[in-house]
Amino acid sequence: MAITGTSEKVALQALKASDWHLEGAFDFFYSQPQIRAVTDSRHLEELYNRYKDPYVDMIMVDGVSLLCNDLQVEPQDIVMLVVSWHMKAATMCEFSRQEFISGLQSLGVDSIEKFREKIPSLRAELKDENKFREIYNFAFGWAKDQGQKSLALDTAIGMWQLLFAEKHWPLVDYWCQFLQVRHNKAISRDTWSQLLEFAKTIDPQLSNYDAEGAWPYLIDEFVEYLFENGIVQRGN
Amino acid sequence: MSAQKKRNFKIEAFKHRVEVDPKYAEKTWKILEHAIHEIYNHNASGLSFEELYSPFLVKTSASSWEFRNAYNMVLHKYGEKLYSGLVTTMTWHLKEIAKSIEAAQGGLFLEELNRKWGDHNKALQMIRDILMYMDRTFVPSNRKTPVHELGLNLWRDNIIHSHKIQTRLLDTLLDLIHRERTGEVINRGLMRNITKMLMDLGSSVYQEDFERPFLEVSASFYSGESQQFIECCDCGDYLKKAERRLNEEMERVSHYLDAKSEAKITSVVEKEMIANHMQRLVHMENSGLVNMLVDDKYEDLSRMYNLFRRVPEGLSTIRDVMTSHLRETGKQLVSDPERLRDPVDFVQRLLDMKDKHDKIISIAFNNDKTFQNALNSSFEYFINLNNRSPEFISLYVDDKLRKGLKGVTEEDVEVVLDKVMMLFRYLQEKDVFEKYYKQHLAKRLLSGKTVSDDAERSMIVKLKTECGYQFTSKLEGMFTDMRTSQDTMQGFYASQYSETGDGPTLAVQVLTTGSWPTQPSAPCNLPAEILGVCEKFRAYYLGTHTGRRLTWQTNMGTADIKATFGKGQKHELNVSTYQMCVLMLFNSADRLSYKEIEQATEIPAADLKRCLQSLACVKGKNVLRKEPMSKDIAEDDAFYFNDKFTSKFIKVKIGTVVAQKESEPEKHETRQRVEEDRKPQIEAAIVRIMKSRRVLDHNSIVTEVTTQLQSRFLPNPVVIKKRIESLIEREFLERDKADRKLYRYLA
Repeated sequence: MAITGTSEKVALQALKASDWHLEGAFDFFYSQPQIRAVTDSRHLEELYNRYKDPYVDMIMVDGVSLLCNDLQVEPQDIVMLVVSWHMKAATMCEFSRQEFISGLQSLGVDSIEKFREKIPSLRAELKDENKFREIYNFAFGWAKDQGQKSLALDTAIGMWQLLFAEKHWPLVDYWCQFLQVRHNKAISRDTWSQLLEFAKTIDPQLSNYDAEGAWPYLIDEFVEYLFENGIVQRGN
Repeated sequence: MSAQKKRNFKIEAFKHRVEVDPKYAEKTWKILEHAIHEIYNHNASGLSFEELYSPFLVKTSASSWEFRNAYNMVLHKYGEKLYSGLVTTMTWHLKEIAKSIEAAQGGLFLEELNRKWGDHNKALQMIRDILMYMDRTFVPSNRKTPVHELGLNLWRDNIIHSHKIQTRLLDTLLDLIHRERTGEVINRGLMRNITKMLMDLGSSVYQEDFERPFLEVSASFYSGESQQFIECCDCGDYLKKAERRLNEEMERVSHYLDAKSEAKITSVVEKEMIANHMQRLVHMENSGLVNMLVDDKYEDLSRMYNLFRRVPEGLSTIRDVMTSHLRETGKQLVSDPERLRDPVDFVQRLLDMKDKHDKIISIAFNNDKTFQNALNSSFEYFINLNNRSPEFISLYVDDKLRKGLKGVTEEDVEVVLDKVMMLFRYLQEKDVFEKYYKQHLAKRLLSGKTVSDDAERSMIVKLKTECGYQFTSKLEGMFTDMRTSQDTMQGFYASQYSETGDGPTLAVQVLTTGSWPTQPSAPCNLPAEILGVCEKFRAYYLGTHTGRRLTWQTNMGTADIKATFGKGQKHELNVSTYQMCVLMLFNSADRLSYKEIEQATEIPAADLKRCLQSLACVKGKNVLRKEPMSKDIAEDDAFYFNDKFTSKFIKVKIGTVVAQKESEPEKHETRQRVEEDRKPQIEAAIVRIMKSRRVLDHNSIVTEVTTQLQSRFLPNPVVIKKRIESLIEREFLERDKADRKLYRYLA
């Protein structure tokens, strides 16, 4: 327990599994895929209080800035999105007590140092296909105004720029351009999630784009826009 | 024949027991051989057969005799000798006959052949009779060819297939036919006998020795002739010639060929004269199908139809050319800007075009259903090319119901309306028609300008039959409102009985909002005299109908005003409500500026300008005078009551509430409203479908929605897609997690 920092319960589990051989117990412990490092709830409280807003029981913009500072990341660094995802944050630039604390618990960190050390692995999660999709779809609800059903266009564009910097999509700039010129309205959830599918499955020359493919009409219009402006050649 | 006689002969036959040694058989044969010779030469001998051989004959029935010798020969097993002797003798004779036929000169060839054939048949008959016992017993049991057939085969082999005769016979026949085709008269009876002979010899003889070459030669004859005709004839003439040739060949067959040849020769003519030239005929300049259609050449068209139906693809060729002609003509009709100026004329031309082609199909094309369908699909195609068609058709009906059907009998009214319904059926955007029809009907009802209530109702019934009650329920609501308003007015005046004065007489029509076309109405300031009585009505109505809200539609009313002009001439002016508001102002002022009028009445600018124009700028209706006298209304114009107004009519109508072709902006607005109305209908259809199917892919939804709505309009797939997305937003539907093309219904 002193070595692994784990709880008595987990230690007992490991020893049982290895038939009470110490070496085996260590092997067992370190090979567990979901190592939930135990967090000290007192530390978590302290951390929360450090960032919490003086007037409201929430971490607000200033608190988030401070957190980013402590973590040595820029506030607009995409890793904060990943963090928010782990925290199941309802909306950007805010964390409730519950979100912050249970978020850190699930991450298995209870100090800034540990948090900082976790950052690279959080960043790496964006490389995982499935996780990226979850984070991407999470971003919609997180970035939009609480009271609205749709995501404001400017925010959406900002998010897309951020997200597609990680997962390179050659058409992202044209997409944003198109939206500003032709659409100028908020983005629906369906359009948001279908865009990722589009970016993943349709090749940038649109050779496998199928007009009967049940894509949202905005994406159909985007395709038309690409053809009209000669960005992509028709007849693929 | 008496039994006794028979018995006698029989007994006699049996009685004759002859020795049957070969020598005797030979002797017996010689007698028979001689008899056969005599049969063939019977003309030459001059004696009748019976006369020659009576002692040797046995009478087996009233009409037939038999050589007892022959009988005996067979009986005593000499049948083979008899049979082969017969073959030899006949063959010898036939060879002689062949020589004499070959020797015949020129035209006599056929005659000689015919005569000899006749003789041969008679001889054969006799020979068969005298050898009947052999024919009945020896022949079948020894599987020999029966005598008659043998005789035919020998004729065939020795005469018909004789080298010299075979070719000459065919050439002669074909030559005669050719001559007849080129106008000469030939001996048909003789031909008939010859072809019958060939048939008697066996249908394969007829076919091989005559029919097949005949067909080949005919084919090249008609191929040449058709080529010639098509260079020099116009389509109608060519078809007449082709028809003539066809009939000629059929007649030829009936006169002197075998009946089975008819189908074969007609198909040769059909192929050479019709099938091979179909395209060229149909597209012939100045005389082809299109010209015939345009000029209503019923006879030529009928002929073409009857000829072309005989060949493969014939009718479809006609149909396709007719279809593209219709589409082209129709397209021009609906796109011509000249035509579009007058909607009533536009529709009349469509009706005329339909009538014209209905007549053609009925008279010339045998009422062929496939042609009817082609006509319908063509109309459906081009009527919908012009998106104003629904509006124009409604205007046409409006014109008819307003004045066009005045004095027309009930039956004729039905005829006109039924024809209009036919056009209506072709419309893809029936909901657009409905919108316009409502507007136009409203104006007709409110201005009291309908020629016949029965005609109006009849039209509604027809629309209901075609589209279901939902289509017409609002229209019917409008009629109901009119009737109810009458009752309401009666009740109102009854209640005002005690208060009759000099005030204006009010006639109110109360319109139920949902049934009538919605028109945004800006209220205007009514003259004081009117306001009073309006309020009285309002109080009365709301007294009997609590919970309702009344809004005066000042843009839709009319008024009758009594006006007295400079020299005391009195006129009764029939004006719109707006016009009345303006005119009444001049009771207290002689001159008013535009701005003053605008302020006082609060009528919206566009309407006000139109209103002032109709009061001051129209000749014969200028009860106001405008300065300056320009046609357009400017903001700083001034208006005067026109003292000098004159009209030969006491009653002058100035109001403008007639249905007209919409202006561009109005049209645009109406179309927008139609599009807006379609959205909920599409959504309702999607929800209905998804509710019952639960899970469905995108394309299937589009197809089903289109099917469900097609009786009203053709939904745009893009709009359907947007509605689906809207329903996803509102959480009625969701995309399937695994297959993004699939949608699920969320209960």
